[in-house]
Amino acid sequence: MFSVEANFLDQLKDSIGLFLPETVLIATFLLSLILDLIFRKSRTLTGIVTAIGFVVAGICLIGQTGETAFIFSRMLVVDPFALFFKFVILLSGLIVVLMSFFSKELYETTEGVGEYFTLITGMTIGMFLLASASNLIMIYLAIETMSISSYILAGYTKEIRRASEASLKYVIFGAVSSGIMIYGMSILFGLTGTLNLFDINTFLLSNEVNMVPLMLSGLMILAGFAYKISAVPFHFWTPDVYEGAPVTISALLSVASKAAGFAVLIRFLKSAFIDPTLSSDVAWNTISSIDWQYIIAILAVVTMTVGNLVAVWQTNVKRLLAYSSIAHAGYLLMGVVVMNEIGIAAILLYFFAYMIMNLGAFYVVMLIANKTGSEELDDYQGLGHSAPVLGVCMTIFLISLTGLPPTFGFIGKLYIFSAVLDSGLIWLAVVGVLNSVVSLYYYAKVFRNMYFRGMDPPKEPMTFSYGSMILLFLLAIPTVLFGVYFTPILAWAKSSVEIFFG
Amino acid sequence: MINAIPLEYYLGLASIIFLIGTVGVLVRRNAIIVFMSIELMLNSVNLTFVGFSTYLGDTAGQVFVFFVMAVAAAEAAIGLAIVLALFRNKQTIYVDEVNVLKW
Amino acid sequence: MSALFITLFLPLFGSLLLLFFNRRNTELIEKTTLGISLLTFIASLFLFLSFDPANPGFQFLYEATWIESMDAGFRIGIDGMSLLLIMLTTFLTPIVILSSKNAITKSRKEFYVMILLLQFGMTGVFLSLDLFLFYIFWELILIPMYFIIGIWGGKNKIYAAIKFFIYTVVGSLLMLVALVWLGHYCGTELLHNQQGFTSNYLIIRDLAASIPLEYQKWMFLAFALSFCIKVPLFPFHTWLPDAHTEAPTPGSVILAGVLLKMGTYGLIRFNLELFPQASMEYASLISWLAVTGIIYGALVAMVQTDVKRLVAYSSVSHLGFVVLGIFSMTAEGIQGAIIQMVSHGLSTGMLFLCVGMIYERRHTRDIDQFGGLAKVMPLFTVFFGIAMLASVGLPGLNGFVGEFLTLLGAFNSPFLNSHAYTIVAATGVIFAAVYLLWMFQRVMFGANENPANHNLSDVTKRETWMLVPIVVFIVWIGIYPNTFLKVSENSTRALVNKLHVIKFGTPKFTLPVYKDDQLLQDDLIKPTEPIETVR
Repeated sequence: MFSVEANFLDQLKDSIGLFLPETVLIATFLLSLILDLIFRKSRTLTGIVTAIGFVVAGICLIGQTGETAFIFSRMLVVDPFALFFKFVILLSGLIVVLMSFFSKELYETTEGVGEYFTLITGMTIGMFLLASASNLIMIYLAIETMSISSYILAGYTKEIRRASEASLKYVIFGAVSSGIMIYGMSILFGLTGTLNLFDINTFLLSNEVNMVPLMLSGLMILAGFAYKISAVPFHFWTPDVYEGAPVTISALLSVASKAAGFAVLIRFLKSAFIDPTLSSDVAWNTISSIDWQYIIAILAVVTMTVGNLVAVWQTNVKRLLAYSSIAHAGYLLMGVVVMNEIGIAAILLYFFAYMIMNLGAFYVVMLIANKTGSEELDDYQGLGHSAPVLGVCMTIFLISLTGLPPTFGFIGKLYIFSAVLDSGLIWLAVVGVLNSVVSLYYYAKVFRNMYFRGMDPPKEPMTFSYGSMILLFLLAIPTVLFGVYFTPILAWAKSSVEIFFG
Repeated sequence: MINAIPLEYYLGLASIIFLIGTVGVLVRRNAIIVFMSIELMLNSVNLTFVGFSTYLGDTAGQVFVFFVMAVAAAEAAIGLAIVLALFRNKQTIYVDEVNVLKW
Repeated sequence: MSALFITLFLPLFGSLLLLFFNRRNTELIEKTTLGISLLTFIASLFLFLSFDPANPGFQFLYEATWIESMDAGFRIGIDGMSLLLIMLTTFLTPIVILSSKNAITKSRKEFYVMILLLQFGMTGVFLSLDLFLFYIFWELILIPMYFIIGIWGGKNKIYAAIKFFIYTVVGSLLMLVALVWLGHYCGTELLHNQQGFTSNYLIIRDLAASIPLEYQKWMFLAFALSFCIKVPLFPFHTWLPDAHTEAPTPGSVILAGVLLKMGTYGLIRFNLELFPQASMEYASLISWLAVTGIIYGALVAMVQTDVKRLVAYSSVSHLGFVVLGIFSMTAEGIQGAIIQMVSHGLSTGMLFLCVGMIYERRHTRDIDQFGGLAKVMPLFTVFFGIAMLASVGLPGLNGFVGEFLTLLGAFNSPFLNSHAYTIVAATGVIFAAVYLLWMFQRVMFGANENPANHNLSDVTKRETWMLVPIVVFIVWIGIYPNTFLKVSENSTRALVNKLHVIKFGTPKFTLPVYKDDQLLQDDLIKPTEPIETVR
C-alpha cells in the first residue's frame, strides 16, 4: 500500500516537472491578479507582467522539446504535437498582449485593464491544457477554462452595447455547445466504460460496440469542437462576437482559440478512433465503421463555402475577417480529412502562417480604428494614401490570407492542397481552390477601398507611434519572408506530427 | 435498489430532459430562462453519467458530475453578470430585442 | 550567367531602391527608373550576344536548392524563345517608362515601383525552369497589374481591375492544382525520388511523354485554361477589352506587349512540352477556338467607336494567329507564333502609345470626335500609319512575317487535319486590313471639322524618342526577320522533333548535340524503372 503511494508521489513529481510551462502561466495569472489589486492606477503593469510570464513560459516550453510522456495519471500528454500548438497559442497570446498596449478602445472605454491581461493568461492556461488533454474530463475542463475567460473578455468593453450583446451570444452558444459535447461524452463513457482517450481506443479495438450511439456520441463531441473552431453549422456566434469584442480579443479568438480547438479535434480523432497498430503513412485506419473522413470532408466543404460566400456581403471589416476565419477553418479541416501525417503537418504549417497573417490583419484593423474610430469598410477609403505603411502591410496580410505567392499563406495553402491531392481527393482540392477565388474577391474589396476609392481629395496623413509600427513590421516581414524561405518551419511542423500514444 | 430500475429508464429520462433543455434554448427569448434551459441540459448529462457510473461500477462518471456542477455554477455566474451588463445598456433581457449585431 | 541574373534582379532591386526616394522628387525618380530599365536592357543585350543560337537546349542554366521537401529549386535558364520574349520585355519597359511622363499624373513613385515589379515578374516567368518558381512569378504579375489598372486607370477602373484579377486567378489556381498533381505524379510514379515530388521542369519535360493520356488530358485542360485566359483565347477574352480600355497607356502597352505573351509562352513551354499527346488530342479544338477568335475579334473591332477598344479587340484577333501557329505544331507555325508574339508586342504596343498620345491631347478616344488629324499632326500620322500597317500585316513590316509563317504552319501541319483553319484564318487578315484602315482613315484623313482638333500639337521630342526605336525593329523584323528567327530556330525544331517522334516515330530535323546538354542529361535522376512506352 505504502509503495503504491510512494510510486504515486514519484509520478506526481515527474508530472510537475513536465507541467512547468503551465505552472509558470498559473503563477503569472496569480501574480498579475495580486499586482492589479495593489497598483490599481498603473495601466500597463499587469500587461508587462503577463508578457514576461509568457516569455518565461515559452522558454520552459523550449525545454520540453522532444519530450513524450503521460502526466498526472494520464490526464495530460506531453508530446511534440501539443508542443507545437502550445507555441502557436503562446506566441499569439504574446502578440495579442503586445497589441493591447496600443489599443485605444481598451484604454478609453474601460475602467482598468488589469483583469483583461489576467483573463488572457487564464484563457491561455485553458488552451494549453486543451492542447495536451487526453481524458474527457480534462478536455471538458480545459474547454470551460478557456471559454469562461473568453466570455468575459468578449464583453470586456462593457460600456459599449454591442460588446455586452456579443458576450451574451457567446455565452449562450458556448454553454449549449459544451452541453451537447458533454452529453456525447456521457454516452461515450457509457459505451466504453472509460474517460481516457487511449482506453477508449483499446476498448473499441477489442469490443463490438453498437454503431448508432457511438456515431451519435462522436458527432455530439465533434459539435463541441466545431464550435471552438467555428465550423459551420456552429459558426453563428463568430461574426457577432468578433464584431462586438475588442479587436485584440477577436484576434486572439480567431487564432489561439481555433488552434486549441484543432489540437483537441485532431487528438481526439487520432487517439480514440484511429487504429494505432495499422497506422501508416498513407492513411490512418479508422476503427469502427464510422466514416470520419467523409463526415469531416463535408464539414470542411460546407464551412469554407459558407464562410467565403457570406463574407462577400460584409461591410464591416471585423465581420469580414470573422467570416474569413470561418473559411480558414474549412481549409484547415481539409488537412484533417487527409487523416495522415502529411495532412497534419500541413495543418501545423498552415496554422503558423495563419497566426501571423491573421493577427496582422486584425492589428491593422485595430490601428485604423484607433485613429478613425470605425471598422466599416467604407471608412477605409483613401487609407492607402493617408496611412501608406498600414495600407501596404494590410495588402500583404490580405494577399497572404488569399493564398497568393510570394507569401506565407500561399505556402500553407500549397501544403494543404498537396496533402489533399496526395490522398487522391482531387474534387476537394478543386473546391478549395474555387473557394480561394471567392475569398480573393472580398479581400480585394478591402484594398480596393484603401487604394482605388476616396483618393481625391487626399486625406490627412495619419501618424503612428514607433512601437506600434515595429510590431506591425514584426508581423508583415515574416509573412513575406516565410513565403520565400520556410524550410525551418516546415521541418519543425513535420517533426511535430507525432502524437504520443503511450 | 438501483437494480430495480433498469438503466434504460435513466437514459430515457435524461434524453427527455436534454431535449426539453435544447428546445427551451431554441424557443425561449428570455435570457434567464435560456440559462435555466442550459442548466436542464447539463443536469440531464449528470443524470446520464451517474446512471452509467452506477451501471458500470466505475466512479469516474460521478467525478465528472462534480466537475460539471462546478463549471455550470461558474458559467451561470458569468452568464448572469453578462445579462446584467446588457440590461444596464439596453434595459432588456429578451434575446430577440438584442439586435445591434446581425448578419 | 551574370547577365541573366542582372536582367532578372535589376528591376527588383530598382523597385526596392525607389522606396527610399522622396516621393516629391519625381524628376529623380523617373530618371532612376529609366536608368535602371536601360541598364536591364543592356544586360539583356549581352545575353542576346552571348547566346548560342545553334544550341537547341537551355543555356545559362543555374540551379540552387530552395525547398528540398518539394524538390523545388531556383532553376533558371533560357532558350531561343524565352530569349526573344525577355528581349521584348526589356526593350518595351524603358519606352513604357518614357510614356508614363504624360499619362500618369498622380503617385508617380508608386507607379514606377509597380512597373519595375512587373518587369521582374515577367522576366521571371520567361526564364524559370521550375514549376514552383514559375507559378510564383506568374502570380507575382497579378498584384502590380491590378494596382496599375485600379489606381491609374480610367472611369471604370475598379470594375476592370477586379475583372482582370478574378479571371486570371480562376485560371491560375486551377493550374496550381494541376501543377501540384503533376509534380506529385512525376515524383512518385515515374521518378520514385525521395521526396515523392518534383517541380524540376527539365526532369518533368523528359518524363512527360510517359504520363498516361487520361491524366495528360486533365492537366492539359487545367494549364490551357490558365494560359488561354491570359492570351486571351476566344471565349475567355472578355476581361481584355475592359482592362485595356481602362488601363493607363503604359499599362496597356505592357499588357498588350508582354503580359499576353505569357499565356502563349505558357502554351508552348508547358502544354506542348509537358503534355504532347494531349496536345495532339486537343490541337483541333484549340485551333478552332483560335480561328474563331481571329474572326470574332476582327468583326467586333470593326464596330468599335473607341479607338483603344478597337485596338484591344485587334489583339484578340492577332493572338488567335499565335495560338493557331502554336497548335499547328510545325516548325514554321511555332516559329511564326514566336515572331508574331514579338511583332504584336511591338506594333500593338506602338498603336497603344499613339492612341495614348491623341488621348492626352484631346481627352477622348471616340473615333467620331476626330478627322483630318493628318493636316495638323503630319509626323504623328507617319508613326501611327506605320504602326497601323504593321498591325495589318503589310509585307515588309513585321506583322506579315508572323502571320504568314503561322498560316503556312497551319497549312502544312500533320496534326491539323484540315486546310479550313488556314482558309478561315486568312480571311482574318483581310478583316484586319478593313477595320484598321477604316479607323485610320476616319481619324487621320478627311476634313478637320471639329474645332477642338484644329490646334493639336505634333509629336514632341520625347514621344519621337519613344516611337523611333519601335519603328526600327518593326522594319528590321519585316525586312530581315532572320536575325530573330535564327535565335529560336533550333529550340523550336527540338520541340517539333519531340512531337514527331511521338506521333511518327522519327524526328523531323537533325540537330546538333551539345556537350552542355549531355551533361545536363547525365545530371538528371533517371527513373528507376524503364519508362513506359507511349500509349
